[in-house]
Amino acid sequence: MDIIQAKKITRSFGREPLITHVLRGVDVHVAEGEFLTIMGKSGAGKSTLMYQLSVLDTPSSGELVVDGVDVMQLNEKERTSFRLHTLGYVFQDYALVPDLSARENVMMPLLMRGDPWATAKRKAAKSLDEVGLAGKYENLPTELSGGEQQRVAIARAIAVAPKIIFADEPTANLDTVSSKQIIDLLTCLNETSGQTIVMVTHEREYALGANRILHMEDGMIIREEKLR
Amino acid sequence: MRSLRIGLLLGLRQIQRASIWTTVLIIFVMMLTFLNLIAVSGILVGLIAGSERAVQEKTIGDIIITPLDAEDKILQTETVRRTLTTIPEISAFSVRYKQGIKIEANYKTRRDLNAEANIVGSQAVGFNPFEEDTVTTLSENIIEGEYFEPNESGYIILGALNLERYTAGFADITGGLKEVYPGDTVRVTIGQASREFIVKGIINAKAGGVANSVYLPEQELRRLIGSPDRNANEIIIRLTDSTPVEALAVKDILVSLGLSEFAKIRTFEEALPKFITDIKNTFNILGTFIGSIGIVVASITIFIIIFINALSRRRHIGILKGIGIERSVIEIAYVSQAAFYALTGSFLGALLTYSFLVPYFDNNPIQFPFSDGILSADPESTFYKFVTLFIITLFAGFVPAWMIAKQNTLNAILGRK
Ligand SMILES: Nc1ncnc2c1ncn2[C@@H]1O[C@H](COP(=O)(O)OP(=O)(O)O)[C@@H](O)[C@H]1O
Ligand SMILES: [Mg+2]
Repeated sequence: MDIIQAKKITRSFGREPLITHVLRGVDVHVAEGEFLTIMGKSGAGKSTLMYQLSVLDTPSSGELVVDGVDVMQLNEKERTSFRLHTLGYVFQDYALVPDLSARENVMMPLLMRGDPWATAKRKAAKSLDEVGLAGKYENLPTELSGGEQQRVAIARAIAVAPKIIFADEPTANLDTVSSKQIIDLLTCLNETSGQTIVMVTHEREYALGANRILHMEDGMIIREEKLR
Repeated sequence: MRSLRIGLLLGLRQIQRASIWTTVLIIFVMMLTFLNLIAVSGILVGLIAGSERAVQEKTIGDIIITPLDAEDKILQTETVRRTLTTIPEISAFSVRYKQGIKIEANYKTRRDLNAEANIVGSQAVGFNPFEEDTVTTLSENIIEGEYFEPNESGYIILGALNLERYTAGFADITGGLKEVYPGDTVRVTIGQASREFIVKGIINAKAGGVANSVYLPEQELRRLIGSPDRNANEIIIRLTDSTPVEALAVKDILVSLGLSEFAKIRTFEEALPKFITDIKNTFNILGTFIGSIGIVVASITIFIIIFINALSRRRHIGILKGIGIERSVIEIAYVSQAAFYALTGSFLGALLTYSFLVPYFDNNPIQFPFSDGILSADPESTFYKFVTLFIITLFAGFVPAWMIAKQNTLNAILGRK
């Protein structure tokens, strides 16, 4: 069974007559363990779709079942808990807490899940090692490069071993070398731990590691491309 | 519990990463607020506390017995006196006789009968000097000469305000005896009777009336009055335990023994001169008012600080909620910061109050016409004020954190609206 089942998802903003229909009936199915990329021009509605699938926003209409849960029915508290336990996020601009060290940033979701302090610390170190940041545990975000910060963000997302990782243009602010590393990291995660990944990207080159590419235009999926 | 742990970590890190000067400034504001709360009302109340203490010590005692409204003497004074000696809670009492008199000096040297007479009207208080001293330690207020010795006669002690050289600063008291010193002879007149006394000493005290009267041993005053009536005008009582509660309890005993048939019995608090009670109430209101303004200012300060702080981190708050961190974590993070400011500020304020201000005012009391003002900051009320400030500060920190943490997660992440 698919881990994400979205049917006829719409998302509109504002009210008649000034209503904007950003998503106009999108169907997305993602299989467990799949690496899916979404491509499209700026303003096509990629981010808006990501917010719906990752339970940060609620569709105006349609059906959305994630990991067997009808997320349309959840209240705010339940959605927060669902995100904590099932989903991982990599945002475009790293989104680390500036007051916390790299390791403490990664520890946040672990502690929230109830890991004891020492366990959280150990797991955080392990996932920082995995993204190649051994030795930078105590650095503050400001003491890290953009690529390193994005890797901390990935470490934070994978530390809790979420079922699905969402990444919205994770390389948009990075140079080519760092971008390549981030994409490789995500591809590797998908291949080795079988985590489901949904990623938005502009660069076709970066999309090629995925199983499938969805092409969006004007709030709809216009084409699907199977790679592997 | 989880939320508490993560919230405290976030709060602690924010304090650590904040600019040291901002932190110092906030703590300084909190310290001033605490001082404002403690010291301002403490000094105001201290002025009154000093005067109350003086009145309780010198004028009223812990319990005072005065004539019934329709009488001018305490009926059956002897019975009352005997009853008082049987009550163990009473450590001492003094029976006082009062009489309006005239005192005249220099009457011997006055050749010219048209020249201004050196004479004042005053009130004579007659008592057993020993008993009076046990109750009011009046002998400690002698500023010139000496207090009465047992078994001597022919001596008088004058309150300082009967003398011209001590009344200079008081616009409302005019006249006063000129050039009278211990050892001089003065003439005391009651109606037609008059007698000479040697001035034994001069007494001064800030408690109401003490410095206005003149003092004589009881027998001498009664002999001068020349009445066989042995009923007294006033009995003041000292208890082994001078607290208001104990005073009420002993008063009840006295009433139950039937003494209220003969006289009016009032505790210290009931008998306080109205002006003192009035000033006390006014100062209390004033102190509370000034303190409340302080608390309002402090809570607004904290509110603004936390609000700006949380607002500038709105995006990070959104992201934390986005990755599944509960709202309460964020609220705790900010409330704990507010708590830190309040605790540190209050601690420094208390340190300053008790290690510097209280000792300073004890050594250098504020000179006040009717008392020596001290800084009254009893630990209990200080603690309550601290708790008030603390709770209000927590609230002032919570509200802005709550306002920002409850915002829509996605809007916060995207910086929308
Ligand atoms: N809250 C909103 N209110 C109105 N319009 C919005 C809102 N959010 C997104 N849009 C519009 O929806 C369109 C798609 O946005 P987005 O999903 O961010 O596109 P993409 O990520 O593909 O660049 C854009 O034209 C944008 O202006
Ligand atoms: Mg986008």
